[in-house]
Amino acid sequence: MEPILRIDDVVKKFGEVMALDHCSFDIEAGTITGLIGPNGAGKTTLFNLITGVLQPDQGHVYLGGEEITGKKPYEIARRGVGRTYQIIRIFPKMTLLENLMVVGKGKEKRMMERAMDLFRLVRLEEKRNDYASDLSFGQQKLLSLAQVLMPDPQLILLDEPAAGINPTLQNELMALIHRLNEDGKTFIIVEHDMNVIMNHCQNAIALNYGQKIAEGSCSVIQRDERLLEHYFGR
Amino acid sequence: MTNFIEILIRGLMLGSVYALVGMGLTLVWGVVGIVNIAHGEFVMLGAYFAFWAFSLLHLNPLLSVALSIPVFFYGGMLIHKRITERLIKEQELSALILTFGMSILIWNLAQFFWTNTYRSVSYLTGNFPFMGIVLARSKTVSFALAVGITAVLFLFLKYSKLGKGIRATSQNSEVALVCGINTVKMRAITFGMGIALGGAAGAIVSLQWVIFPQMGGSYISKAFAIVVLGGLGNIQGALAGGLIIGVLESLVTQYLSAKMAQIIPSLTILIILLLRPTGLFKK
Amino acid sequence: MKIRVGLSIAILMAFLISVPFFATDYWITLLILVLIFTVYASGWNLFSGLTGYTNFGLAWFIGVSGYVSSLLIADYNWLWLLAWPIGALFTGLVSIGVGYILLRIKGVYFAISMVALTEGTRELFGTEYLTPLTHGGKGVPFVAGIRLPTLYWSILLLAFITLILCYKIFSSKFGLRLIAIREDEQAAETLGIHTTKDKIIAFTLSAFFVGLAGSIHFTYQNYIDPTFAFNIQLTLTPIVMALFGGVGTVFGPVIGATLFTFIHEILWAELTLLYMAIFGAILMGLILFFPQGLLGWMKEKGILPRSRKL
Repeated sequence: MEPILRIDDVVKKFGEVMALDHCSFDIEAGTITGLIGPNGAGKTTLFNLITGVLQPDQGHVYLGGEEITGKKPYEIARRGVGRTYQIIRIFPKMTLLENLMVVGKGKEKRMMERAMDLFRLVRLEEKRNDYASDLSFGQQKLLSLAQVLMPDPQLILLDEPAAGINPTLQNELMALIHRLNEDGKTFIIVEHDMNVIMNHCQNAIALNYGQKIAEGSCSVIQRDERLLEHYFGR
Repeated sequence: MTNFIEILIRGLMLGSVYALVGMGLTLVWGVVGIVNIAHGEFVMLGAYFAFWAFSLLHLNPLLSVALSIPVFFYGGMLIHKRITERLIKEQELSALILTFGMSILIWNLAQFFWTNTYRSVSYLTGNFPFMGIVLARSKTVSFALAVGITAVLFLFLKYSKLGKGIRATSQNSEVALVCGINTVKMRAITFGMGIALGGAAGAIVSLQWVIFPQMGGSYISKAFAIVVLGGLGNIQGALAGGLIIGVLESLVTQYLSAKMAQIIPSLTILIILLLRPTGLFKK
Repeated sequence: MKIRVGLSIAILMAFLISVPFFATDYWITLLILVLIFTVYASGWNLFSGLTGYTNFGLAWFIGVSGYVSSLLIADYNWLWLLAWPIGALFTGLVSIGVGYILLRIKGVYFAISMVALTEGTRELFGTEYLTPLTHGGKGVPFVAGIRLPTLYWSILLLAFITLILCYKIFSSKFGLRLIAIREDEQAAETLGIHTTKDKIIAFTLSAFFVGLAGSIHFTYQNYIDPTFAFNIQLTLTPIVMALFGGVGTVFGPVIGATLFTFIHEILWAELTLLYMAIFGAILMGLILFFPQGLLGWMKEKGILPRSRKL
């Protein structure tokens, strides 16, 4: 079974700084993987590389067996990759419905139905004709998730989904992710909150200074006290 | 090859004045964040300043150059406090359109009050020999003045507290903000400095060329080319850029035609933006 | 409601079509200018109002198309009916390339590069190398063999088509994608929107329609030269009109064009010398105090619905 994502010996430099240093790993379809590491470890750079926003200086990225290194962001997105950002990036001067419809492909009627389904999923259907800028922070996070899901991606990259929202909403969000995962979607989640990672992810990959320093199931990583202390000062 | 050396020197002299204009624009653009399309109009105003001081008050134009600096500095600060500071939080394009309007307002007022008649300041005339080539007095003195002002500017930026603040802001405005440097006052002062450089350049220009209300137009396009060449906010880059544009203009005028030389600023902008958008020079 | 709107439009169109039958030449020419600038302003708004890429090179579209059409008429005796669309098509095709190259540049730099393109082309057309083709600074005086009413009906038709196009695009998913580009281009890309393609399409459409109006404009003037054709005023005036009426609205540019052309007529007659200065002051005032324009303001205050279709 091809892994849904393969990162193969990827290198990315910004001037003198080595953002990603010969990183390699596979992600199996249908898993929820946590991506952990201190600030500047290269996690967001990795996301940028996978989504095509940046090109690696060396190495390859494969999606479902197909090489996507060097492809444009929209090409990669259309192959079933969705991604949210640390700082919420929705379209503020559009309504919620427009935020979803602009991303949809195909017949208007079907898109409308899909949008309504997603609104129901994130419980924002009442606000669908409000402007996105009128939403609260937490609601915007839910909107960005709905937006990402609109084109029905198979691989979803979430950059700190739990940050800045209250525990109740956090749980709701994570429950949502689990439901989608049960439907077969693969997730990679960047998180600083170790609880979130440990409680919700099956596997984890740890990065530091652009290098992969650990990889494995969460239970294994959790037991590796030395690792956690050394790198994350726990 | 005295001919070639002569052209080169002419180009450098030309470029020294362009550099003043360019440094003024890059200072305001890079540090304050305002793209001042009306910058060329301040060069024009500087030229008229020297002209009227000369014809009405018989003031020595060299003195006008010196005087133009404080006059345009305070004028610039006033304009900034009243007008451009309001746009700081808006996108850059709002400032672009606003200063466009300001530019039209200024040169049309100049045309209305002073008419289109060409003016000139006949103060330094004649040529003198220098190492085998012939130099015009007016251009040489202009060059000296431009060099002098540039030197003072660089010393100020390097050693004064305010200068250091400006350099810090142009390099990384977010860090500067956190350190409490980038205040309204500092922006006003920087804006004033930018305008002062333009005005002084204009006063210097009055020694060499004719003065008319629309003269700002050619200076602004060269200034843009200089800013793009040197890198946004890069003052040393603007100095180099100014000299390069001056030399290029001199060379092309000599070997191709004056008309072809008019294309240089536009071509430079397009080429640099496409190939090396951050400018030729690193910070 | 829709029937009432449709009827009003029909009545307005009937009135406009019949103008040459009862109005004096003065009024016909005034309306011709209003219509030309309506297309300029709407064409500019179609691209810049939606994508947020401020196009400071509108005069380039106008000048290129104007020159191609005018030279075809003057030097090669083409009929205006063919010369105009060919000029616009040429401009549209070249704009695909120009857009592909220049639309990678963002923000202010894009605006500047378009100005540089316009200025550079103007200077180029005046150089010794191109003068044999373009007649250089001397200019091209010419007569197209078209009567005033016919010219009027042509630009009326063009304006009508342009507005319908704008209306359709603003209410379409394509228009929504363009707005997404303005809101956050990178996010739009990672969501699967082919931003380059959409930008270029909008840019080229803008180029074609503005160019076509430009060809008509110079036929109307019976003259073209580089300074005239690539004049920054031709870029600026439509932008001011769109700003005044409301950038990003469908009908803002029409209102702006109509109002400004009439104001221009009045001011020009009374205050010829200070006209431009006032123009500059108005521009400054708009940006400082009224950036959303008339229609934008009306939408904010609830006088008009906040629909994209307006």
